[in-house]
Amino acid sequence: MKILIVEDEAKTADYLHKGLTEQGCAVDVANNGIDGRHLATELDYDVIVLDAMLPGMDGFEVLRALRKTRQTPVIMLTARDGLDDRIKGLQDGADDYLVKPFSFLELLARLQALTRRGRTQEPMQLRIGDLQIDLASRKAQRGGVRIDLTAKEFALLAVLARRKGEILSKTAIAELVWDMNFDSNVNVVEVAIKRLRAKIDGPFATRLLHTIRGMGYVLEQRESETA
Amino acid sequence: MFALVAVVAFTLIGAALYAVLHRELVRQQMDVLSTTSGEMMFSLTRMGTAERWARGMAKMDTLTPADGSLRFWVVSPDPHFSYGKDAAELASIAELDDGYDEVLLPGRERPMRTFARTVDALEQRPAVKFVVGIATEPYLHTLHTFVIALAALLLAAVLVIMLLCQWMASVGLRPLKRLSSEAQQISPAHPTQRLQAASLPVELDDLAHTFNGALDRLQSAYTQLEAFNADVAHELRTPLTNLIGQTQVALARPRGVQELEETLQSNLEELDRLRAIVNDMLFLARADRGEAATGLVNTVVADEVDKTIEFFEFVLDDLGLTVAVEGDIDAVAPMDRALFRRAVTNLLQNAIQHTRGGTRIVVRLERQEGGVSVAISNPGDPIDAAHLPRLFDRFYRVDAARNDQGAAHGHGLGLAIVKAVASMHGGRVFAVSADGNTAIGFNLPR
Repeated sequence: MKILIVEDEAKTADYLHKGLTEQGCAVDVANNGIDGRHLATELDYDVIVLDAMLPGMDGFEVLRALRKTRQTPVIMLTARDGLDDRIKGLQDGADDYLVKPFSFLELLARLQALTRRGRTQEPMQLRIGDLQIDLASRKAQRGGVRIDLTAKEFALLAVLARRKGEILSKTAIAELVWDMNFDSNVNVVEVAIKRLRAKIDGPFATRLLHTIRGMGYVLEQRESETA
Repeated sequence: MFALVAVVAFTLIGAALYAVLHRELVRQQMDVLSTTSGEMMFSLTRMGTAERWARGMAKMDTLTPADGSLRFWVVSPDPHFSYGKDAAELASIAELDDGYDEVLLPGRERPMRTFARTVDALEQRPAVKFVVGIATEPYLHTLHTFVIALAALLLAAVLVIMLLCQWMASVGLRPLKRLSSEAQQISPAHPTQRLQAASLPVELDDLAHTFNGALDRLQSAYTQLEAFNADVAHELRTPLTNLIGQTQVALARPRGVQELEETLQSNLEELDRLRAIVNDMLFLARADRGEAATGLVNTVVADEVDKTIEFFEFVLDDLGLTVAVEGDIDAVAPMDRALFRRAVTNLLQNAIQHTRGGTRIVVRLERQEGGVSVAISNPGDPIDAAHLPRLFDRFYRVDAARNDQGAAHGHGLGLAIVKAVASMHGGRVFAVSADGNTAIGFNLPR
């Protein structure tokens, strides 16, 4: 995935560059609006991360200039939480919008969502190690043993399985599973993960559902780990 | 202004006095005329001969004063029975009819007031016209003096009144001036200062109390804001201290990868708390600025409540609690669903956290005059009435010593956010504590 970051804050640009590169993306960075516009209009990117406040030329101007020639997906970043800014950005043709402070995981999720758009249908069968999930019949089994899950437990498992290997924050999980798209500050997700873990990992030797402290949860098979 | 009113009033009074005096003077003149005329007539009617008439004329001579302010005339066809020195005078007198009149005699500046009567014929004397005249000069003089005196008095009175008014106004306004200078001294440095209402006249008492009331409200808002800022600083200080300290400790010695990783993870947790606080504060600030929820959709309230309860399903299960939805489950209200869920989430979380001595949480929906109310009640320790309205204050804790920490307890903004959501919908929040139950909720207007 080829990504352009237009951001004047050096630290922000640095960590975004590093983080996204490590995720396997090709990343270019522009630290002002004029360079940003030049790169955005001249080169092909899969997605552009555009700060709203930029020296030389602000993000909205860059966006308007870009939209005259290209439809590259754009995520706007802003430190201002005004509704006006949000509306303005979306009117000018931004595809998504993030308010600082945002988490890197959230940005990653949004970037993936933007580039995933319009892809072919997902497979109905998912497999992580010896865990098999059938999204159509809403059934899961591990090592040939059927796992009994409630509707919400299955929804949680499906969300994690669809993004296997991806770290999902509690906020993202709350949004994807329960449609609660705000910082809820509650331990609902922890409790749900604990239950799910008891069912899918409890009786088995290998752990699949991992906690990344401070970040969230990931469902994947790790060769080195045993329960 | 006062002077003008005084001038007008006094002019009217003066004019009236003048008219009265003038009439009285004229009447007095007439009295003199009729008395004098009556006395003379009494004699004249009895004088029928030239000899007796001469006595009458002599009496008239004596009665006529030297200055000629009182005069007598007798007009007669027989010159023997005439009286009056000047032929010209007699000519103008002869034209008078019986009764009162005025006549301007030759050689005089002012007319004389006259009273004419006919004396019937007797013996040798034919019928004659008897006229008494009185000079008006003294009366006019009196009137003139009176007018001057009156004008002078009026002028003096107006002056005195003006000075008096000024003095009274300055005395009367003194409390107002004092209020003004007191008001000038009120500043953020002396937030408790108030206007002294005790020594004020009744008229200003209300003003001072109203003003002091406004100051009280401002001060409470100001104090709240100050406390709020202090709370924010405090809430941010703890995670910042942890971050700085932990990082310094970690860097002070060479550490293994795992130890450094743990430090980073712990830092991340603190940072996430900071982020949550900042985001919530921004949300509250937006509500404070009067931002209203837009794009409201008519929604069955119970449906959204159910979805939120579903969110807590596992937590409730673990704690052995149940949530029942009661009341008007068909009620519909316009709402921003995400905001509504956020408010109900916070209320439910609050209820779960404070449930004591029972396991049943109740969400009660009620259709009201202006919309729908949502009240979430939990069995719990009674809350003092003084605390109830303040539950929605930011960072407010009923027990000041209790300092809830950790993700499970939020950071003291939960109910403030409920209030913000309610106000973004134009609704209000309420809290009731009775019979071992605490009910907290808000309403959505239609």
